[in-house]
Amino acid sequence: MLLTTHLWFKFLLRRYAFDCHSYVLITVSVKWQKELYPAVEIDTTQPPYVFKCQLYDLTGVPPERQKIMVKGGILKDDSDWSKLGLKEGQKLMMVGTADEIVKAPEKGPVFMEDLPEEEQVVAVGHSAGLFNLGNTCYMNSTMQCLHSVPELKSALIEYPQSGRSNDLDQSSHLLTVATRDLFSELDKNVKPVAPMQFWMVLRKKYPQFGQLHNGSFMQQDAEECWTQILYTLSQSLKSPSTSANLDKVKELFGVNLVSRVHCAESGEESIETETVYSLKCHISHEVNHLHEGLKHGLKSELEKASPSLGRSAVYLKDSHINGLPKYLTIQFVRFFWKRESNQKAKILRKVDYPLELDIFDLCSDDLRKTLEAPRQMLRDEDGRKAGLKLKEKVPASGDNDVKMSDAEGPSNGSGESSKAALVEGVGSDKNAQLTGVYDLVAVLTHKGRSADSGHYVAWVKQENGKWIQFDDDNPIPQREEDITKLSGGGDWHMAYICMYKARTIPM
Amino acid sequence: MDPEPNNNTASGSGNPKDESALKAPSKDPKKKDDKKDEDLSEEDLALKQQLELYVERAQDADQGLQKVALESMRQEIRTSTSSMTSVPKPLKFLRPHYGTLKSYYETMPDSDLKKLLADILSVLALTMSAEGDRESLKYRLLGSEGDIGSWGHEYVRNLAGEIAQEYSKRVNEESTVDDLIELVEQIVAFHMKHNAEPEAVDLLMEVEFLDLLVKHVDKANYKRTCLYLTSSARYLPGPDDMSVLDIAYTIYKQFEEYPSALQIALYLDNMQHVKQVFTSCPDLLRKKQFCYILARQGLSFELDEEMCADDEDREALQEIINNTKLSEGYLTLARDIEVMEPKSPEDIYKAHLLDGRTSAGASVDSARQNLSATFVNAFVNAGFGQDKLMTVASEASGGGSSNWLFKNKDHGKASAAASLGMIDLWDVDTGLAQLDKYFHSNDNHVIAGALLGVGIVNCGIKNDCDPALALLADYLDKEDSSIRIGAITGLGFAYAGTQNEQIRDKLTPILGDPKAPLDVIAFTAIALGLVYVGSCNEEVAQAIIFALMDRSESDLGEPLTRLLPLGLGLLYLGKQDSVEATAEVSKTFNEKIRKYCDMTLLSCAYAGTGNVLKVQHFLGQCAQHFEKGETFQGPAVLGIAMVAMAEELGLDMAIRSLEHLLQYGEQNIRKAVPLALGLLCISNPKVHVMDTLSRLSHDADTEVAMSAVISLGLIGAGTNNARIAGMLRNLSSYYYKEASLLFCVRIAQGFVHMGKGLLTLAPYHSERFLLSPTALAGLVVLLHACLDMKTIILGKYHYVLYFVVLAMQPRMLLTVDENLKPLSVPVRVGQAVDVVGQAGRPKTITGFQTHSTPVLLAAGDRAELATEKYIPLSPILEGFVILKENPDYREEA
Repeated sequence: MLLTTHLWFKFLLRRYAFDCHSYVLITVSVKWQKELYPAVEIDTTQPPYVFKCQLYDLTGVPPERQKIMVKGGILKDDSDWSKLGLKEGQKLMMVGTADEIVKAPEKGPVFMEDLPEEEQVVAVGHSAGLFNLGNTCYMNSTMQCLHSVPELKSALIEYPQSGRSNDLDQSSHLLTVATRDLFSELDKNVKPVAPMQFWMVLRKKYPQFGQLHNGSFMQQDAEECWTQILYTLSQSLKSPSTSANLDKVKELFGVNLVSRVHCAESGEESIETETVYSLKCHISHEVNHLHEGLKHGLKSELEKASPSLGRSAVYLKDSHINGLPKYLTIQFVRFFWKRESNQKAKILRKVDYPLELDIFDLCSDDLRKTLEAPRQMLRDEDGRKAGLKLKEKVPASGDNDVKMSDAEGPSNGSGESSKAALVEGVGSDKNAQLTGVYDLVAVLTHKGRSADSGHYVAWVKQENGKWIQFDDDNPIPQREEDITKLSGGGDWHMAYICMYKARTIPM
Repeated sequence: MDPEPNNNTASGSGNPKDESALKAPSKDPKKKDDKKDEDLSEEDLALKQQLELYVERAQDADQGLQKVALESMRQEIRTSTSSMTSVPKPLKFLRPHYGTLKSYYETMPDSDLKKLLADILSVLALTMSAEGDRESLKYRLLGSEGDIGSWGHEYVRNLAGEIAQEYSKRVNEESTVDDLIELVEQIVAFHMKHNAEPEAVDLLMEVEFLDLLVKHVDKANYKRTCLYLTSSARYLPGPDDMSVLDIAYTIYKQFEEYPSALQIALYLDNMQHVKQVFTSCPDLLRKKQFCYILARQGLSFELDEEMCADDEDREALQEIINNTKLSEGYLTLARDIEVMEPKSPEDIYKAHLLDGRTSAGASVDSARQNLSATFVNAFVNAGFGQDKLMTVASEASGGGSSNWLFKNKDHGKASAAASLGMIDLWDVDTGLAQLDKYFHSNDNHVIAGALLGVGIVNCGIKNDCDPALALLADYLDKEDSSIRIGAITGLGFAYAGTQNEQIRDKLTPILGDPKAPLDVIAFTAIALGLVYVGSCNEEVAQAIIFALMDRSESDLGEPLTRLLPLGLGLLYLGKQDSVEATAEVSKTFNEKIRKYCDMTLLSCAYAGTGNVLKVQHFLGQCAQHFEKGETFQGPAVLGIAMVAMAEELGLDMAIRSLEHLLQYGEQNIRKAVPLALGLLCISNPKVHVMDTLSRLSHDADTEVAMSAVISLGLIGAGTNNARIAGMLRNLSSYYYKEASLLFCVRIAQGFVHMGKGLLTLAPYHSERFLLSPTALAGLVVLLHACLDMKTIILGKYHYVLYFVVLAMQPRMLLTVDENLKPLSVPVRVGQAVDVVGQAGRPKTITGFQTHSTPVLLAAGDRAELATEKYIPLSPILEGFVILKENPDYREEA
């Protein structure tokens, strides 16, 4: 098409060359973009299309895309020059480009607004909030914290809808089902979810949560709720077919403690083992840091009947961790029963907790031995990262080589020892090894002066590493540094339960 | 100026205390005088006795003795009345004898001596006569009519006050005032010679005889006189302000201060005066400066041969009026400030400063977020011709540009295509070339956007070839309503304020078209309102009125219908009483729209007048409480801002009244208040307003919060204000999951960084004296659209945001040489100081810094040349200013 136009144009030009004088020519200037073509001749006996072809030769804009401004609008191919009142030397303006015409891409982008709600969740980057059903923030925050444990979620998905084992009562079964449904609801929605069903079932199972005060439900202790739910789940998630060892909840949350109970008076000593679902951080005047509180919590005095003395005596119980869970739950013992006011009073003392917790020194000697190898690997990993940076900075030199070979020594050694550890096969059948180092993943905070009042909020680290504060139905993004500021010492939200996730190292 | 002349003299004397101190003892002179006698120094005692002697002698039977006594008394008084900082002693000592002299005067036969005594009594009455008696004036008229100034300044002032009172009394009684006028002439002559121009003007205003002023101004005092006249005009009622400005215009013209005369002519919107300025000024270079002033006002003005005889010169002048060089000047400024580098929306959001607070999901495109990015990109890179979304990619690879365009959904594509127009703002040639390819798209939204873009590019620029009309006209009758709206609105932008009849002929039929959908009709009304802004054009008004009457009951409930009265109102923008006939017609409308129409018309008609009565009227409307949401209170609240924005004092008062409305008003009022605040402080981020808006941006009511957020953007528009930017950044994380509010925050961010901080939206310019009607019209349309955020801006009519283009102007001072090439000279830029009514040559700026041009001017800034080498051809250094070399300049060795 363009070619023919061009040829025709050449032909026309040639015609002018022969008998130019017999035509009425008007010289005009044409402005196109920033350029000005000062002397363009218009043959007024020819249709405007000819003129356009002239311009095509000058500008390269195909005639059909040229828009030439004349009085009263755009020059049409069939306009009559005489009616346009062109003057000699008039300035005309031509708009048009030879640019490619914009076409819509074949596959248009997908907009978030058009997505179904489940897919929007991915884009939002966090799961939904939970509506407060009347003082149920303790339950909401507990569920949000537990919801952040993917292993628990997957275990619940496997839980059979109907096939409950005989030793499980109906209400526990219903509660487990409700938990599973609630978790999947949370994953599916962007908008807040109302945990109606779960709330009903929970009250049925544990009537204490249904206590009424002045016609409305009472605020409850989140820790109690947490413990009860975990207990129920541990009951229901036991695989009926296999042994009790495969208790999923225990595997995830259970902390094996070995305690030496010692009586100073009689010199009696006994070893006890037990499994707890959370470590207690006792808060006294000396405790400023979580670690001190944990240590404190692992030592206790108890009074019991001493068989040798024949009366009750004071025993010292000194516990150590003998088995680590995947998720370490720590409860700050902030509430105590205040006899004079007849309520649970709160200790406001500031107790710092770290984002990364190392509980190596709380472990028993046996456990320490098994932990040593993975810990060494973890250190090496960190060291390698730092070393890489170092290497980038300092170009290879003889001195550096020596260091490098030095560094290789211990890592080799640890490799061997890790193999040894594998042979021993402690704790886990998977390739990931616990290291005793834990990362903070969820914090349940309380704000207020007593356990049965105030407000509970969950602060949960999402899979993308961002922290979200779940204040009932309102998820608010938070900065990581603000999470450690929940350590108490004022009237701001303060940590009540912390959940740490084990840092593992693949072997 | 002052309604009560007595007060005037009191405050004028500078020490009203003295006066009260004077009056107090006069009540019981005996007791005080006895006491005082003891305190008097010997010298004073001698003077006192001397005066007492004169008084006694003045009543003597001997005429010769009388004369001597009176003359010496006059001598005593005159020598001491030159200064009034303390009560002159002779007056003090003569006070007890005032009564005696007065009664003696009555008994005297007519003679020169009697006149002499009358003169003395007139002076004594200055401190003695009871309030309201006007005895000073009375004796002055009976006296010898000698040189008025010989008795001192204070006497003249007092007299002027009494004349004003007497005048109004006599006018009421319809008696003659000739003797007063004679006296006035003397006083005015005296004042004008003695640096007291404000007093002279005040007196003449009181006696309604301003024409007299022209006789008395001279080279030394005409500037101060005119300054006083022009600034007092804002506070005068009714036709007085116009006559005052007329006088100022005459004086300026008389002294060949043409740019100032032109400014007054523009203020009066009097094209006859504008023509006169052109015809009476012979200098071509100065005419060029006039053209720059006209271009800034956004006026469409055709020069004829009478104004400039030479064809070539006229063409050059017309080119300046047509604003064709605006883009060039703006880019000169941008290059000088080094902000040519295009900015992406992310550079504006600065999300990295909010680490952890932003939502993570970047994997999926959100149509709304992309749309806001489109707008932010358009506003930030407005006029620079390059950006990082729309233009850059097209150069790199053909498909790239379309990528961003098609990252917008449906009607979003219209705004995206139109954003090209914004990026190439004022650069018609490049802009049209860029937009051309979108005309051939097969997507109606894209075509609509391209049409709108053509209008935006041409906004404020006139071109002989009329490319906008030629390109857009063909699309006016297309089937698709979005294309039609694009073409209609584009014409509105391109021809705003031109009163182009071709446009009217093309657009009015659409209003009467029974098949046209409501949105097309609404935008046609707005476009016509823009083209005929402030013209009071009957035909257009008729067409819009009929269109309104034709609306069905259900249409009238639609938010878009409310644009029709607005289009009607724009026709009368700032035209005050001329609206009355139309307002009368609007009373016959359906009651659903009647009140709304009434408020809109009134607010438009009195926009920029500062009329206090109208402000009160609007406040009264807002005081009513309704059970169900009434819509008309929104325009009433906006009306307060539109009327009160005229001058600083009224503006501050309006801000306070608006805060009251926040306390007591209902939701429909509260959501309009932030918008009104935004208009009052547009591109002028006052801290207290910023705080109020920041507070409201967290309001529990979403609509209030949204308008507060938008208004934060408006008050900071084009300033890059760090505080507002920070506030908005925090709001963006606060509202990160509320899509509509986040959209508003983004738009506000785009406003704040508009033109990378080189632009202003303020419709007032030339030191806040002139109001550009098209700029105000654009803002008013946007604000009215914001009254119903949900359906219009958050709906599918988001392109109304582009109406700000009408108000966008570079906030610069660009000095050019005689060949209109940029010329860099040192200038001092500082906060403007109000010098009205100050004697001598007071400093006009404070806290200044010295820069070299081109420079940015913030709200309230004023510039002055820091070199004597050049003479600016405009007294107001804003926008384009031509510099002429100073022939008297000598380079310092």
